Amino acid sequence: MIICLTSANDSGGEPDSSRLDRCLWAIAREDSQALAELYDCTSPSVYAFALSILKNTQDAEDVLHDCYLQIYSAAAKYQASGKPMAWILTITRNLCLLKLRERRRMADLPPENWEPYLEACQSASPEDRLILTECMRLLSDEERQIVILHAVAGFKHRETAKLLELPLSTVLSKYNRAMKKLKNHIGKEY
Amino acid sequence: MTNRDTESKIKRAFSNTVPDIRDSILSDCKTQEGAVIVMTDTNRKTFSPRRLAGIAAAFVLLIGGMTGFQIYRANYSVASTVSLDVNPSIEIQVNKKEQVLMVNPRNEDAEVVVGDMDFKGSSLDVTINALIGSMLRNGYLNELANSILISVDNQDPAKSAELQERLANEINAVLQTGTFNGAVLSQSISADSNLRALAEDYGITLGKAQLIQQIIEQNAFYSFADLVPLSINELNLLTESGRLNLANVNSLGTASDKAYIGEEKAKEIALSHAGAAADKLTQYEIELDYEHGAMVYEVEFKSEGFEYDYEIDAVTGSILKSQKETDDDYIPPQTDAPKPEAGNGSSQTNQTNTQTGGDSSQANPNQSQASQEGTKPKTSYIDEDQAKSAALSHAGVSANAVTEYESELDREHGIMVYEIDFKCEGFEYEYEIDASTGAVLKNQKEQDDDYIPPQTGGQQPSGGNGGYIGEARAKEIAFSHAGVSANTVHEYEAKLDEDDGIMIYEIEFKAGNYEYEYEIDAASGSVLKYAWDED
Repeated sequence: MIICLTSANDSGGEPDSSRLDRCLWAIAREDSQALAELYDCTSPSVYAFALSILKNTQDAEDVLHDCYLQIYSAAAKYQASGKPMAWILTITRNLCLLKLRERRRMADLPPENWEPYLEACQSASPEDRLILTECMRLLSDEERQIVILHAVAGFKHRETAKLLELPLSTVLSKYNRAMKKLKNHIGKEY
Repeated sequence: MTNRDTESKIKRAFSNTVPDIRDSILSDCKTQEGAVIVMTDTNRKTFSPRRLAGIAAAFVLLIGGMTGFQIYRANYSVASTVSLDVNPSIEIQVNKKEQVLMVNPRNEDAEVVVGDMDFKGSSLDVTINALIGSMLRNGYLNELANSILISVDNQDPAKSAELQERLANEINAVLQTGTFNGAVLSQSISADSNLRALAEDYGITLGKAQLIQQIIEQNAFYSFADLVPLSINELNLLTESGRLNLANVNSLGTASDKAYIGEEKAKEIALSHAGAAADKLTQYEIELDYEHGAMVYEVEFKSEGFEYDYEIDAVTGSILKSQKETDDDYIPPQTDAPKPEAGNGSSQTNQTNTQTGGDSSQANPNQSQASQEGTKPKTSYIDEDQAKSAALSHAGVSANAVTEYESELDREHGIMVYEIDFKCEGFEYEYEIDASTGAVLKNQKEQDDDYIPPQTGGQQPSGGNGGYIGEARAKEIAFSHAGVSANTVHEYEAKLDEDDGIMIYEIEFKAGNYEYEYEIDAASGSVLKYAWDED
């Protein structure tokens, strides 16, 4: 967890594309150290995005796991296009959609109760918990995904639109609406 | 709190709660690595508990899925798609029982209308009522824009027609109870794949695409792309004003033109610009039209020997085009007209013109006019420069601001005229100058659709480096993007090239152990493409 923290901080804004490209290039040559590095830079984005789709921490964790296994085996097929995050999050999204289909057939799970998970999460501050809960509670699924892609994965709205297969205008308006909602709620208390 | 603050809080919150499964991933990769080697031929699999569970789950799914299918079809398959277009465009999918499966906002306005409402499982009537209510509340339907289009898409034409009529009447009733009267257009969708592709391309509903298609079929002056941005009210107005007869569209009520200055006001503006008196008009016509990306009133009339043609911006009332031309068919009032067969030719033209009919022997389709002209030898005309300065001074523009200047001596209306065309600062001008007197016989001023204002101009591909960032700047951009410093770079190459109609700098260089390739937009400096590889 500490590694995640530091890497999230030192990577500043969004993970640096050419660094990720380099990681993927090395992973394709079965360099597990590079996989570790990639995980450190990108796991917050993958997990947050998975969570925003699945709304269930256990499922999101499964997807997080499977996503990096898939990256590991598919890295050779990745072509450096300058959009490593888009590639990684496309894999994430596909895994999530599979998961959702699976879940739907297995009968809908009740919405997850967040409190115990968040309580157990030592690294999360009270403010972090509030924000997570509000993101899950206030936002529609699409809004949540749009916000996560922008805020956590550092995606441009244009990139978000492409990944989610939505018109850019939709992404923009949903993003603005979502931020307004969040600011109204989070802003009051902090 | 700014967006940025909120974003970084969100980022921190999620980053702090990521489960740390890095080590388990790494060790799973190791086992996978073993499998990968053999997989090429024997396809050996390691049956981890996780994977077994997956297979079991897949079985359950398969069986559950098959029995569920029949029920699924009745309740979840789309029987009809109803779309509502105002400016917000909303698609509603319903099942056989007319229960809503999905409400799909197709544009930004539609999202405002739908808001947080969840219609899944509601009846179609309730949903439509709620959506119309929201459109009224949000001001998308009001006395300025009162038109709504309902399109029904159902495999069964009879069912479509029935639903279409029922919904149209229902919505009409809802709108009449307000403070204004609505105008409801309704249609059944009979779209081919072509139209579906168009709708998809432009991001509009199939219903709106079909309506536009029908308008174009009736009026070839419009193009599909022109009409896409228009609201249904505007399309409805065009249909009404152009008296188009859209066979497949049922119309209730009248589109509101209250957002516009109105025909009376447009007429007043045109008349006062022309200096014509309202009681001397003949053949007055006015029509609301869509030109140059704006709703305009086209005003045409004749008055005292001239034909006028105006385009007046329907919202602002400004004059976008004005044209004044001698009226060949004009019969001057019987004052001291000496000619018994005063069938043709305006009196003014004749007076200014008596010595110019030199070549009336030329075939002239307008025979009576030709016969009127004298047969005196050709006299001297004003020269071209004089005609030009007459036109420019009438237009009030200076000669050095003029582009695409053309002039031609021609015979028109039985007299010799200079036809002068030019462009200046966003307008296209057309003049006819009487070659003997220098009088302006016709003038026309129109918006130039091709005009590029000077700030963004200069992007002519042939224009060398005009308007481009320059190679040095492109190089800086590429280096800073690659994170290399200039002194570590070797084998640097750059060239300016055209790709897909835009000018780009292609830059290649090596630094460290890598080879880099960049394409930089020569106008904006943005990085269009880049790639790097181990050297």
